[in-house]
Amino acid sequence: MQGEEAALACVDVSVRFGAVAALSGVSLAFAPGRIHAVVGQNGAGKTTFARVCAGMVRPTAGELRIGAQPVPVGKVNAARAAGVELVHQSFALPPSFTIAESMEFGATGSGGIFTRRALEARWTGHLKSLGVDTNLRTRIRDLPVETRQAVEIARALVTDAKILILDEPTAVLSPAGVATLFERLRLLSRRGVTIILILHKIREVLDIAETISVLRGGRLIEAAIPVAAIDAARLATAIIGTPSGSIEAADQAALVGGGGGAAPVETARVSAAAPAGPPVFEMAGVDTRPDGEGRALEGASLTIRRGEIVGVAGVEGNGQHTLVRALAGLAGLDRGSICLGGTDVTAHALAQRRAAGLRIIPFDRNSEGLSLTSALWENWSARRLLLGRLLSPIAPSRLRNACHASLKEWDVRFADTGQPAGSLSGGNAQKVILAREIDADASLVIAAQPTRGLDIGATAFVWQALRASRDRGCGVLLISSDLDELFDIADRVVVMLSGRIAAEFSAPYNLAAVGAAMTGAPQ
Amino acid sequence: MSDILIAVLRSGTPLIYVALAGMLAQRAGVWHLGLEGLMIAGACAAAVGVEQTGSVAAGLALAVLVCVLGSTLLWFVVEKLRANPIIAGLGLTGLGLGGADLTVQSIYGSEASVTAGAGLPRLGDAFGAFGVLSVLVAAMPVVVLLLWVLLRRTRFGLRLAACGEHPFAARSVGVAPSRMRLIALMGGGVLCALGGAELALGTLQLFSNNMTAGRGFMAFAAVIFGGGHPIGSALAALFFSIVEAAGIKAQLVFGEKAPRDLLLALPYLATVIGVWISGRLRGGLKAAASGGELRDN
Repeated sequence: MQGEEAALACVDVSVRFGAVAALSGVSLAFAPGRIHAVVGQNGAGKTTFARVCAGMVRPTAGELRIGAQPVPVGKVNAARAAGVELVHQSFALPPSFTIAESMEFGATGSGGIFTRRALEARWTGHLKSLGVDTNLRTRIRDLPVETRQAVEIARALVTDAKILILDEPTAVLSPAGVATLFERLRLLSRRGVTIILILHKIREVLDIAETISVLRGGRLIEAAIPVAAIDAARLATAIIGTPSGSIEAADQAALVGGGGGAAPVETARVSAAAPAGPPVFEMAGVDTRPDGEGRALEGASLTIRRGEIVGVAGVEGNGQHTLVRALAGLAGLDRGSICLGGTDVTAHALAQRRAAGLRIIPFDRNSEGLSLTSALWENWSARRLLLGRLLSPIAPSRLRNACHASLKEWDVRFADTGQPAGSLSGGNAQKVILAREIDADASLVIAAQPTRGLDIGATAFVWQALRASRDRGCGVLLISSDLDELFDIADRVVVMLSGRIAAEFSAPYNLAAVGAAMTGAPQ
Repeated sequence: MSDILIAVLRSGTPLIYVALAGMLAQRAGVWHLGLEGLMIAGACAAAVGVEQTGSVAAGLALAVLVCVLGSTLLWFVVEKLRANPIIAGLGLTGLGLGGADLTVQSIYGSEASVTAGAGLPRLGDAFGAFGVLSVLVAAMPVVVLLLWVLLRRTRFGLRLAACGEHPFAARSVGVAPSRMRLIALMGGGVLCALGGAELALGTLQLFSNNMTAGRGFMAFAAVIFGGGHPIGSALAALFFSIVEAAGIKAQLVFGEKAPRDLLLALPYLATVIGVWISGRLRGGLKAAASGGELRDN
């Protein structure tokens, strides 16, 4: 960075959370007016790095410079005053606020008393210049995810930020949404804003970034190298580290999104059994009652056969959660039927459906999948205990032993079956759920975002487990917002849009076609 | 007619001040169950202050001091010691109720009440029949309006609401939720002092043990009923006092025919029904209820 003043520089930044080192001695400088990418797998410290830059996390050591000035660390106000703004992955605007209120909420300088109309007049121009044309009285919670992100970016720019950091901005977007976002970012870059993108997909990184930095295990592996000086293969190696022998090449490509337009699908990877087994699951014309817990299904139909993995793609909020709740019998049905293994289970409760072979890996493993404060053996044995009679006796020591054997078999790293589930890492916690949900009696496995937040090793493990279930003759329904994941392991991909199954694709997948179906664009 | 209105305003004003205090805390993300304790502490301090010094201003000042200290204690226990706010609030209520008893006993021996020599200034004859009401009654609508402007029409209000609904959002623009909660609770302390002072000095010029009789909890119910909105909470509190006044009226009329206890229970019954209705109307306080620290990641 000689001869050019860095817009933002971290010097020897380390962050420790308790015994865990999230960042170790990271020194990184970003040239002004460019688009920079910071990449790495889950747990590499990317988000921590972004939060240090924005003042939300106080590093245990190191300093931060913006322009030539050192900035007090761990102070959001100081970072904002110096022109650094962060757009969070999980979004950070109160859902009940209107768009206009969201802008005013983040503004600095004199405020005073406003009226609704004055507030709208004040922010209309700012939002228009960033391509947000929605009515300013719309509440954040009612916005589609793309607009919501655009509003978050507009919120971050109310102070004329010079440096804009976006944490995994593409994770929630459809391919078309990603293209729009990148256009917007290029526009900002031309206006002189320095942009730092936290990403983990190689394809996206190579598409937009001018320099690339790689984090792995909290350490800096590559520091702001120009994009011309690196190719996808080298970047993949930098992100993953020494390639692990247990991960197949195609999986590796899917893990880091390194594929081209469509991920390669080898014939050997598709189901070994005859593809067209008998249907294990049939859902016909299902409407669910609107219940305020996510978009209702409207005429959703889907068939899953034995020995196939069906992937569900779609922009978040198009009924994926309701689909899982309908399958579990937790959503009220207005119309339609659900058959499991040839029996109509529409009127059956979850316990009966489970007895018929339904297994669910839920969306949120920390609240739906596990009781974090309960012991591992209690979590593990919940399935069979709930199926038993209400007053049937429990033999804890026998369950503990069975749990111990099962968790060992699933390669869970744990000390004792009595330890609370909350003490495990994300990957190990997910393995506990797999150990509970995938057994010999399973006939249909629902896997909802099973790899979200997992590191590469754990992700590959989950994929292997799903493939093994399929090869045993189970039907597998995989819901994921990661198209690379779906393209890599699904035998068939359906797209959910507005509460229905809108399209179906089979390998080899065409990214553009699937993306168009996700947004309902005419093909 | 005007006597009913006067009765409603008399019983409603303390309730509204205290409900506004609870509303402030609710918006900042604290479920304030210490309202009952702060209200009785305010009433006791006001009466004792007037009795000891002979000055109403001194009584009010003492009430404000005691309630702000109590609120600060609640903030310290909840924010700094990370205690459960519900339990801490109930603890504050116990402290207020017990502390008021203890104060009265230690100063006045075994008596269960304190007669203050003077009361709050009245509106006076210019207001006709309403002249018997205290100045705090007249100030109440102004306070409600000012709080509405502060919370709904200024950036401060937006930031306070963010602290309750989505603390992470507040922190990401550099607002410290903890500090905002301290401000909200201290402001609520002042309001509780006004509510308690109006209760003790507005009409009776008397403090007696347990004279709040659950009004603090009713004020909390008004916060929920009112959806955490300044005007909504005030209206809900007003509604409860109307029901209470109607209950007293009903006692006079039907006292012979209907069981007295049932008539006395009317306001509390209305509270339960009111909260249930508010849950049905536009989700009531769903946003506030599901917020809290859960989202703070």
